[in-house]
Amino acid sequence: MVNNLTAKLVAIGVVVAATLVAESKKEYRFAVGPKAGVSVMNPYGSISVKPSLNNTVIVNAVLHSDKVEVDNSQNGNRVDIQSHLLAGADADSGRVDYEVLVPADASITLHSNTGSLRAEKLHGDMSLEGPEAAVDVRDISDAHVHVKTMNGTVNLDNIQNGHVEVDSLSGEVTLRGVTGPLVQVVSTSGRINYIGDFGNSGEYRLTSHSGDIDATIPDWTSADVTARSVRGEVHDDIPLQPKNHTWFPIDKGRAFAGTMGRVAVSSTVVLRTFSGKIHLRKRSEKQ
Amino acid sequence: MNCVELQKSLAEVEDGSSLEQRAHLRACPACSALVRELNLIVAAAGRLQAADEPSPRVWNSIEFTLRQEGLIRPQRAPVPSFSTRWGAARWLVPAAAMLLLAVGIYLRRESLSDQGVQQVSVVSPVATPSDLDDADFMQEVATQAPATKTRYEESLRQVNESIRDAQGVVDESPNDEDARRSLMDAYQQKSMLFEMAMDRSQP
Repeated sequence: MVNNLTAKLVAIGVVVAATLVAESKKEYRFAVGPKAGVSVMNPYGSISVKPSLNNTVIVNAVLHSDKVEVDNSQNGNRVDIQSHLLAGADADSGRVDYEVLVPADASITLHSNTGSLRAEKLHGDMSLEGPEAAVDVRDISDAHVHVKTMNGTVNLDNIQNGHVEVDSLSGEVTLRGVTGPLVQVVSTSGRINYIGDFGNSGEYRLTSHSGDIDATIPDWTSADVTARSVRGEVHDDIPLQPKNHTWFPIDKGRAFAGTMGRVAVSSTVVLRTFSGKIHLRKRSEKQ
Repeated sequence: MNCVELQKSLAEVEDGSSLEQRAHLRACPACSALVRELNLIVAAAGRLQAADEPSPRVWNSIEFTLRQEGLIRPQRAPVPSFSTRWGAARWLVPAAAMLLLAVGIYLRRESLSDQGVQQVSVVSPVATPSDLDDADFMQEVATQAPATKTRYEESLRQVNESIRDAQGVVDESPNDEDARRSLMDAYQQKSMLFEMAMDRSQP
């Protein structure tokens, strides 16, 4: 009995030790100028980007086996990082997790098939893409934010003056405090949640095929709202001033259109789905 | 014929129909996708009208691409990885921007020309011989792990369903601008799915 337990513990120890030996950490530093471009391409694993304190790009990479390498290059103000899979690498052994510090004004391009993609506290343009990547972007200002996923979840939080475009096939998309001249989400079957006030004079388009669309807004919102579900239902908890003209007939229960707040600063809001439900809610004090 | 030679030869035989081109295209998914996109653009561009205004998203996409390429912010170098990583398929970025522009203008033109005409069947610009081919897609994802392959197949099924539904609404109500946008969005989703599948199959 004791010998059996000892053998199991030894076996576990060997596996842990082997894992630790195989895992390695690498750090790369690059001096860059203003508005640098940083690209990280990582087939398997996460990428997290945060602002650095000066004009330096710092890349910390955790490689999960010796079947993957990190290729890096700098060409002027551009930094390229790419995980290089070696023969026999798979989703586990080819995994690399990156933590990257970049100047806050750098533009970034991130790609991962399976890991999470995260960016925060930046004001350069960014493109985050991954078929199954969970995307989390927060505290961004004055930037283009483009996100593409197949079934990863997307969370955008506190994005000010953004040109935001999210394309997701089936992942849930949540926007909280996201405003700007253009905010657009297109989803096939994923749910879309918007929590915020639709800013001033922007264009907001939330579109799905079968996913529900839920917008929760405060009293002070100024918006020209059009909502339509071709085969589903719409619910409006907020009284709107009716509009005189729409592109489509207002079929009660399937569409509504109207304005609220100050017309001079109204944003254009289009909520559209084929078979999903649309719900425009009033934000409670707790939210 | 390699990828570079094929791209050069496209200026002479645009549709990739010479014997050498066809042989290369059969063996190279990246170049075949490029030719497919170019054919799609050519098909849609024939329907352009100068006075039409595409949606803000089109301009936004173009602006983003130009900024990424460093063309409208010269002090910042372009993000490089696309060209190095995608090789011959790097032209898909400007091609995709042109495609969005062409499709947007096409739908706008159709909308204007349909005013006052109630029952006109609308043929999507993407339903052409150069349409996105599901067989190509399945070939791209065939080598993926079974679970991944299943997810791609399911996504393709969903996006095809969304195209069918959107096309049905457009056919019912050709003047419905909203329905047209839905159809365009559905095709964009399919295009994105194809790009992701191709990107994942790159070595």
